[in-house]
Amino acid sequence: MRWVRWVKRKRRLAAAAGMVLAVLLVGIGTSGQAGAQGTVTLNLYISGDTNIFDLYTKAFLPAFTKRYPQFKTNFVGLLHGNGDDGVYDKILAAKRAGHTVDVDLWETEPGYVDEGIPEGLWVKLSASLVPNIVKVPVQTLEAAQYYGLPYRGSSVVIGYNSQFVKNPPQTFDELVAWIKANPGKFTYCDPNTGGSGQAFVTAAIYKFTGPDKFSGKAYDPNEEAAWAPGWKLLKDLQPAMYNNGFHPNGNVAVLQLLAQQNIWMASVWSDQGLDFYNRGQLPKTMKFEQITPPLIGDDSRVTVPAGSAHLEGALTLLNWLLTPEAQNMVINEVAGYPGIDWKYMPESVRARFKDVAKAFAPYPNPKYLADIKRLWHEQVVGGQ
Amino acid sequence: MTPSRRAGALGLALVLPPLLLLVFLIVLPALTAVFDTLAPLEGGPPGLTLARYAQVLGARIIRADITFTILVTLASVAVVFCVSYPLALYLRFVQGRLPAVLAVLFTIPLFIPVVIASFAMITFLVNHGMLSTILYRLGVQRFPPLVYNATGIVITQVWANLPFAILILGAGLQAIDDALIDSARDVGAGPVRTFLAIILPLNAIPTMITLTLLFITILGSFTIPYLVGGNAPQMLGVTMTNYLTQYFRRTDAVTMAVIAFMIAAAVGAVYVASVSRRERVAL
Repeated sequence: MRWVRWVKRKRRLAAAAGMVLAVLLVGIGTSGQAGAQGTVTLNLYISGDTNIFDLYTKAFLPAFTKRYPQFKTNFVGLLHGNGDDGVYDKILAAKRAGHTVDVDLWETEPGYVDEGIPEGLWVKLSASLVPNIVKVPVQTLEAAQYYGLPYRGSSVVIGYNSQFVKNPPQTFDELVAWIKANPGKFTYCDPNTGGSGQAFVTAAIYKFTGPDKFSGKAYDPNEEAAWAPGWKLLKDLQPAMYNNGFHPNGNVAVLQLLAQQNIWMASVWSDQGLDFYNRGQLPKTMKFEQITPPLIGDDSRVTVPAGSAHLEGALTLLNWLLTPEAQNMVINEVAGYPGIDWKYMPESVRARFKDVAKAFAPYPNPKYLADIKRLWHEQVVGGQ
Repeated sequence: MTPSRRAGALGLALVLPPLLLLVFLIVLPALTAVFDTLAPLEGGPPGLTLARYAQVLGARIIRADITFTILVTLASVAVVFCVSYPLALYLRFVQGRLPAVLAVLFTIPLFIPVVIASFAMITFLVNHGMLSTILYRLGVQRFPPLVYNATGIVITQVWANLPFAILILGAGLQAIDDALIDSARDVGAGPVRTFLAIILPLNAIPTMITLTLLFITILGSFTIPYLVGGNAPQMLGVTMTNYLTQYFRRTDAVTMAVIAFMIAAAVGAVYVASVSRRERVAL
């Protein structure tokens, strides 16, 4: 979280000084390695959940090293982003000391990347460095200012049980009407506990304000007055929610309610929902679709530190991540969206994802998101 | 150095490590936190201020959470007490295999992590869960919501805190001399009279200790209300965590913590009074 990092920044300066020394020592140890046997070892620091670790260690990396035998990989998993702060310190310290760093590829949240741009920490990607980048939609690259490669994505979508729902809503307004017409058969998770709940709440707010004002970097609490009609909409929906207005804790709890057929429809993460479905943990009649305007979602990006000692290898891996071979793995292993434009994907894949794979709305910035969560408790479930 | 002084110095040296721990890890942080909530507001007039308390207590949702916390805690304590006292009496005064087996069974919740117990409760009590399925088979159509509300929190708290209450009450009951009870019987007191005139008063201090410790434990609980409770109102443990980690409003969370501390301290005073009275009685 960006906020946490502000607190940590003071500590970081001290840590950076210590890191310089560490990098110096490590640098001595690794510099000779590359030439010796003709293979280069790439150091990958990947933050995510265990499904993402599996995506790398069981799918991406074996295939990549088979295709490019001159590279080996050293995979470091950062579970739920634990340790991201240390990786940033390490890269920053190496940069300030003018040394290379043994981080060749880093998958992390956008906040760290933003923070490092003024420091010149990252390689700015372009078609000359990564030829396959031309297949990536320009706006997702611009969102990362070309400092990270958005190689996969996911968004919140509507999951519904087609056994009970014959004509699923196509727009947010139709969804609201459906919820009112089918009391007790829809819910979303407490927005404190999962993005799928934040998505529904944000959709209600964006309906009246649009996303632009709240997804940028600017923050002004006075602007939040515009959220009032959104709160009223959500509050009015409460009696029609599952169990007279109950919102379970976490994305998974919502999927469980769908699995037990306590509810017929909910907002769920596309990748998580499809993954549960593929593993048979949801009814066979479950379907997923994106509505208009779309719910929020996000791309996952890998970034190459400018101080990487193995730039060529890192860029080769990035380029390979955008091949159909790797992109198919994203879809098959974690049911994610491909990073490259859908038109480059095989027809069969496009058909499978046609109901969910649409553009998604941007997240509100972290401060607005914090206020949305607090005010939801105050205005929607807490007030009388 | 006189022997008494030497003993005093030794005693001081022995209590020093825990005392330092207490001072540096509990007292000082707590004082800092209290000071933070009273510090002058940014851009406001200098001098200590109660403005943050006014702001926190002015929010209807937080007041609702505080009331809810106290009510749920009192209800849980009452139910735990009403269930555990008869059981403790049974284990103390009935001999045989069954009480011996029960005495072991009652301690089981002590060894089950509360997270697991909470999830087990949810699976057991939720709609379409085990209990509702059994009741449905028995012909009960209407099933009240038992989880994700105050009822669920109370049921789970009772389950988790029962062994603790039985152990403390039972220890107190063990200390009652059988001779006193026998002599009461000899002069013709029935079981009720014996209980009211002998057992209840003699066990008064362990009872107070049980009640106060239960109150403080349940008041400050997080896991059970987080997992088994509803969206609103919530118990203070959950509310404080949300303000700290989700809403990024640290001072509000600390202010609530101080309020919770004051409630607990008031009850804690009763505990300290009970314990020191027991010490005096023992002397």
